[in-house]
Amino acid sequence: MIRIQQILPNTKITHLILFLAIIPVLQFADAQNVPQASEEGKRVYEKSCAHCHGTEGRGDGSAAENLLPKPRDFTRGLYKIRSTEAGELPTDQDLLDIITKGMPGSSMPGWETALSANERREVVAYIKTFHDGFKEQESPPRQISLAGKIAYSEESVEIGKGLYTELGCIECHGNIGRGDGTSAPTLTDEWGFQTWPANLAQSWNFRGGSDTEDIFKRFIGGLAGSPMPAFEGDSFLNFGLTSAESKRLTELENRDEMTAAEEEESGQYYEKMDAAVNIALNIAEGTELSAEEQQTYTEAMKVVYEKSWHLANYVKSLAPEKRPEPAIGNNVLRSQYVTDALPAKTDAAWDTLESSHFPLVAQVIIEPRQFNPTIDSVNVKSFYNDTEVAFLFTWDDRTHTTAEEDEETGNILEDALAIQFPVKIPQGPTAPKPYFLWGGRLPVYLWQWKASAPDQVTELTAKGINNAEAQAVQSDIQAEGSYTNGQYTLWVKRALKTDDKKDLQLEPGVFVPIAFSAWDGANGDINTKRVISSWYAFVLEPVPSSKRFIYPPLVALLSVGLLLGLRGFVQRRNS
Amino acid sequence: MKRLSLFTKCLIIFIGCWVFLRFIVGNVISVPIPGSVIAMYMGLIIVAILVHISVEDTRFREFLRPIHETLVDNNRRVRRRVIAVLIPLFLLGYTYSIIAQRTNPPGNPRDAHPSPPLEITYKDEVIGATQEVENPFRHYEKDDPEAFRAHVENGKRVYYDNCFYCHGDDLDGQGHFAPHIQPLPANFQDPGIIPNFQESFLFWRISKGGPGLPAAGTPWDSAMPIWENYLTKDEIWDVILFLSDYTGYQPRTFGEGH
Ligand code: HEC
Ligand code: HEC
Ligand code: HEC
Repeated sequence: MIRIQQILPNTKITHLILFLAIIPVLQFADAQNVPQASEEGKRVYEKSCAHCHGTEGRGDGSAAENLLPKPRDFTRGLYKIRSTEAGELPTDQDLLDIITKGMPGSSMPGWETALSANERREVVAYIKTFHDGFKEQESPPRQISLAGKIAYSEESVEIGKGLYTELGCIECHGNIGRGDGTSAPTLTDEWGFQTWPANLAQSWNFRGGSDTEDIFKRFIGGLAGSPMPAFEGDSFLNFGLTSAESKRLTELENRDEMTAAEEEESGQYYEKMDAAVNIALNIAEGTELSAEEQQTYTEAMKVVYEKSWHLANYVKSLAPEKRPEPAIGNNVLRSQYVTDALPAKTDAAWDTLESSHFPLVAQVIIEPRQFNPTIDSVNVKSFYNDTEVAFLFTWDDRTHTTAEEDEETGNILEDALAIQFPVKIPQGPTAPKPYFLWGGRLPVYLWQWKASAPDQVTELTAKGINNAEAQAVQSDIQAEGSYTNGQYTLWVKRALKTDDKKDLQLEPGVFVPIAFSAWDGANGDINTKRVISSWYAFVLEPVPSSKRFIYPPLVALLSVGLLLGLRGFVQRRNS
Repeated sequence: MKRLSLFTKCLIIFIGCWVFLRFIVGNVISVPIPGSVIAMYMGLIIVAILVHISVEDTRFREFLRPIHETLVDNNRRVRRRVIAVLIPLFLLGYTYSIIAQRTNPPGNPRDAHPSPPLEITYKDEVIGATQEVENPFRHYEKDDPEAFRAHVENGKRVYYDNCFYCHGDDLDGQGHFAPHIQPLPANFQDPGIIPNFQESFLFWRISKGGPGLPAAGTPWDSAMPIWENYLTKDEIWDVILFLSDYTGYQPRTFGEGH
């Protein structure tokens, strides 16, 4: 065996070990000793940030006007994404991380490639100058400890699920987390701007990342400035009690009548809770704690931390690991052939298909525009048989809006979906398609569905986004729509062929361009204000031809014959 | 070691060429070569091999010898049987894979930079010939640097009020709406864009957007808005100054040939 000493002289090893030991220290120093705000930080800020966050850091740059969430106002010192406990300022590393990665689901971009590591550090120092709290900070902010992490398991998810209801997450985030709680439409942030609760099934839009640790930190630290509550000790349900005590108390409270002993028992719990809350308040005020108080507080917090890990595991279970691949390129919406009748809306047959994911983007091309979309994507499945085709569309929308009057404009707003095809299928890859935004010179054929008439789809022909008309002759299209738990499901069935020249005629194996528009009434979507998609492709996937069992064996046999023949020929020539 | 027979050599050359075209070249230029092009090259290689072996009679016979032996020699029995099984099996699998293949939609051939019209217009107003129109504020760069900065600053405002959604904060085509737009918004940090075009070309692209493209540019697919509906002429010229100032790329001037 070769020993390390044989390769390196002794002194070098010592240096190496010293060096390795110093790296973490250097990194730490790096993170905390951000240089004082410099000219460089100001330069970077004015070049890259001021047009959104404002020259004075008030979040009022010229680009802010159309944005929601608004660019952060740095003067208040309220930061959503922190590794520090509730009420604390972020660490420099927190700010550096968020500037590097950006905030998904908002217009805050990541600066990893556009700015050097040094420029990012300088700009961190600079944005801190907008809020005096950073200068007045005496001790470093209290960090959230990730030490007691509870690993993901079915059991933990189950406990988390119970807590999700118990702690009132449902009121904002809805029964299964799609952001459709009853208070969802009423929420505003510290600055008075409308804020939607996160859709927990679309974790790719979480501002602070979708790792279990990220989610955990959001619970403990809260998202400062947003209505999403933090688990600050004193606001936590039954703070100071163990899980068992907390359960027992709820049980007692739910009784119609308590015996004297039970009264006393519940009284004890309340005393315990009061004591813990008082300690939490003392901490917030910066009062020194006695060893005993410290102990009580640590124990109370342990429960909070544990519950948060369970909750984080539950939230994690609600969304796929990654955003599904969009159906761009070869990933086409493929309708599958069935010989019998097509499945009805609630048929289990739909579960056998994987959906194709179509991300939707805001319509910012034609006025009035929508800059702040609330519908992320639509998922589609499809079956066809010899005469008909059926689709199942699902899309998340936090609110169920059926014909509501907009107070400002008097417009009647409602949720809707439109599916767009060309009237004539372009022949060949270079043949012109209609303009992807509801046609132009070439017309498009549309199915328009509205939440106020959920069992009806209207056929439209359009030659432009403001130039659509319901067809005089409506083909027989069956539709059934419903809204549950923050998600619309729409089932549509039509014959492959119709008598109407203005309709799309479908044939197996022919690729048809398809595109979508969706409206969220509660977000002010109407007419051109909506989310849209580019052209994708749709095809009735041809039934695999039975030729695949005939030709290959034929070819193989033929080759055997040829080989034998060749051999015979050579043998005959030899003899 | 035994010398390789002519047949084996030819076989090695043939397979080697295929591997090179199919896997190596594709990786280097990072786009796979289309199957039809590979087939064409391989056809040429077969012809070359045929020419090579048929130049001399002896060479031809030497080439055929191993085939001959495999077909009839008694001490080549094992090899013969293996080949008699492998070839039909390969053909079986290959034909099956061709017949059972999923069809894919036709690609989207698109000329990303089709030729501009002969005349530059703003709404219906003719500004001048594409080959002559210059940015009316460009000359400030030399004459009046302060006025030039003011125009660039205004261009920056126009950009972040209107364009960054798609073209990105860093002008790299990665705005927050960009990932799901097909074709992707232009990346102005790409040296293939601004330095290749005259400012009149950029003015045309910005003022007329996707719908203003000729058929080769697949105007029906482009999400690029028609900015003459929103911006004044001067704002468009200013945003062009900003694009070149931010990226450090100078648009092409009229003197330079293509
Ligand atoms: C296109 C507009 C835009 C630009 C440019 C921009 N930001 Fe932001 N930024 C935002 C928005 C919007 C938010 C708030 C997102 C939210 O609240 O969900 C934000 C939030 C932040 C936050 C707060 C993070 C938190 O935890 O709450 C920081 C820090 C920040 N930006 C720093 C910067 C820096 C530094 C730059 C320049 C290098 C910059 N931003 C450039 C739009 C922008
Ligand atoms: C008063 C309403 C409200 C309640 C109650 C509430 N939330 Fe939220 N939640 C929000 C809002 C609003 C946001 C979006 C914050 C933002 O980005 O500004 C949010 C965001 C989130 C996020 C995403 C964080 C990120 O990084 O973007 C998660 C996860 C979350 N909430 C989970 C929960 C859980 C679990 C509970 C229950 C313990 C809960 N919320 C209770 C309103 C609420
Ligand atoms: C809705 C998204 C969107 C917005 C907003 C947008 N663009 Fe574009 N832009 C695109 C797309 C997509 C392309 C590429 C397709 C094409 O060539 O039309 C493009 C192409 C361009 C091109 C052509 C580049 C080339 O290679 O020929 C220029 C120049 C341009 N945009 C400038 C701008 C300017 C300036 C603004 C703001 C005033 C802007 N764009 C706003 C989507 C957008």
